[in-house]
Amino acid sequence: MTVRRFHAEIGTAIATGALGVAAIIGASELGYGWEGHGPQAGYFPFYVGLILIGASLWNLVGAVLRHREAMARVRAALEIEEPFLQREHLGRIGTFLAAMAGFVIGTVTLGVYVSSLAYIAWSAWRQGGYRLWVALAIGAGFSVVQYVIFEVIFRIPLLKGPIEPLLGIY
Amino acid sequence: MGNFDLLMHGFAIAITPMHLMLMVGGVLMGLVVGVLPGLGAPNGVSLLIPLTFALDPTSAIILLSSMYWGALFGGSTTSILFNIPGEPSSVATTFDGYPMARSGQSTRALTLAFMSAGIGALIGVVVITLLAGWASKFAMRFGAPEYFAVYFLAFAAFIGMGSAAPMKTLVSLTTGLLLASVGMDTVTGEIRLTFGLNELLSGISFLVVVIGLFGIGELLSTVQEGLRFRGVASKIDLRDVLKTMAELPRYWATTIRSGLVGIWMGITPGGPTAASFMSYGIARQASRKGEPFGTGRPEGIVAPETADHSAGSCAMLPMLALGVPSSATAAVMMGGLMIWGLTPGPMLFATKPDFVWGLIASMYVSNLIGVILVLATVPMFAALLRIPFTIIGPMIVVICFVGGYTVSNSSFDLWLVLVFGLVGYLFTKLNYPLAPLVLAMVLGHKAENAFHQSMILSDGSLAIFFSNTLVASIMAIGIALLVLPKTLQLGSRLRRRVPVE
Repeated sequence: MTVRRFHAEIGTAIATGALGVAAIIGASELGYGWEGHGPQAGYFPFYVGLILIGASLWNLVGAVLRHREAMARVRAALEIEEPFLQREHLGRIGTFLAAMAGFVIGTVTLGVYVSSLAYIAWSAWRQGGYRLWVALAIGAGFSVVQYVIFEVIFRIPLLKGPIEPLLGIY
Repeated sequence: MGNFDLLMHGFAIAITPMHLMLMVGGVLMGLVVGVLPGLGAPNGVSLLIPLTFALDPTSAIILLSSMYWGALFGGSTTSILFNIPGEPSSVATTFDGYPMARSGQSTRALTLAFMSAGIGALIGVVVITLLAGWASKFAMRFGAPEYFAVYFLAFAAFIGMGSAAPMKTLVSLTTGLLLASVGMDTVTGEIRLTFGLNELLSGISFLVVVIGLFGIGELLSTVQEGLRFRGVASKIDLRDVLKTMAELPRYWATTIRSGLVGIWMGITPGGPTAASFMSYGIARQASRKGEPFGTGRPEGIVAPETADHSAGSCAMLPMLALGVPSSATAAVMMGGLMIWGLTPGPMLFATKPDFVWGLIASMYVSNLIGVILVLATVPMFAALLRIPFTIIGPMIVVICFVGGYTVSNSSFDLWLVLVFGLVGYLFTKLNYPLAPLVLAMVLGHKAENAFHQSMILSDGSLAIFFSNTLVASIMAIGIALLVLPKTLQLGSRLRRRVPVE
């Protein structure tokens, strides 16, 4: 499957427009008018939201117009509309994103040290083609350096999970 | 010469063993950040801010600004050796830098870049030194309406002068303003736009947003391109360095012109990226006959590098004197200032002279350190790019997320980093500019407060923004910047009867 630039433009314009709508709804709950001594709390977000909706609509219409023009050119067999993401790219991005999301879920549940060890090792092993023990060593090395920098040098505690206490690390 | 005395006092603050060490450390970290894809100056600085809470503000800003210079140098290194701009502002350096390096003159290309970068930065710092006192005195006359007018001017300049489509800039800007208004409203004390999510009560940190937008977003673009590094050998030969230095005075006209472009774009919110492109374009138009640009012309390296660095350092002036940063990195640093409990603006010069002049003096020193360090360490840092992406990529991901987490120790921020990473990727791919979003997030509260106070002063009449010459002229410049550039473009397009893209 190929995502066309047109789809991406439309999707983004709708999303930013929706953000504007959300802001307007949120602002109107607070009141966007005037009180005795000045504008109400929703005043600023309300009008900023309005501007955002306007600009998003403009971009939406612009994307549709450009798409029409491009389609006309395609019909005239001149050129193909610029693809946004080819299948191969989509696969690469998808894998990377999935691994990243996995890392975040892992961090929230198992703590950042275990999760980054697993994530880096997985990537080196599956994608980099390193042998498993080399990959694990790279991951472990990174986690140890991370621990030393944050917890020992800067004394900033990071998220820990159920495994660190077993190793005597709090 | 009040400024001169203050500067000397600043040197006394900047040149201490502790601060020199911070400069070296900052420049080195900046080089790493500048060389690695996915880590750039804005999010490198964001990642570092949580680690600066233990330092006093002067040391912290010296560390952060040194990192910024390092990142600028690092960005040029990869542009020249790998044809991969490490920073958006060093894209223009690839046009002639990479061809020159490929033809076996990598030392010459690198030396040209670093020396003109250093000269550019020096030009910028001299301008700051000369203008700082004046700018802060000027800003002392500002009240709430004037401040709002300045913010308006900054926003307008982004929309009118930016290279992106104005409506896309506007979307980016207003999105930033809305994100800034999430959480507790400082004026009315009401909770806004949290939609019942407790995690949003304290607002969305711009640091988390920057890390997502610039860090994860840039990584995703890199992944899509499927990273292929085709590096050029990167050994530095001292004799070539000296020979190239002797060659520099020949490009004095290009240097001066680019320095001026940089100063202008740095003080107005054009930013280093726009400055380097503009300066490259001007150099190409002004060049006398010779080999064409794009094949390794020395001017093609000198022009963007000088402008890039003079804009980068000049961007600190409006940030300090007015509280209006003109580049994404300056915006992040200003956010840092506010976190450290300092209020950027004219009062800063009066109340914290040590901080301001220590910073300005440190800019002279750390740029000098930067040029020397970068020449000495280029082979080492270039080797970083030989680490396969399957290893370095996930490491950068982890650093970004951990950096996002340390901002306020909240695991909710991890999800925000992920979401804004996607937003950053999409926005970059679709030519939505990211800098206005960051600027708006940092300035959102201040702009809203200034607007609120002006409205209270005037009892709700917008006429207050035209009530005296100062505020009226700032507003007029703002409106002109908003409307004129695109109108002129449209006009010339119509005259040439070229169809509108």
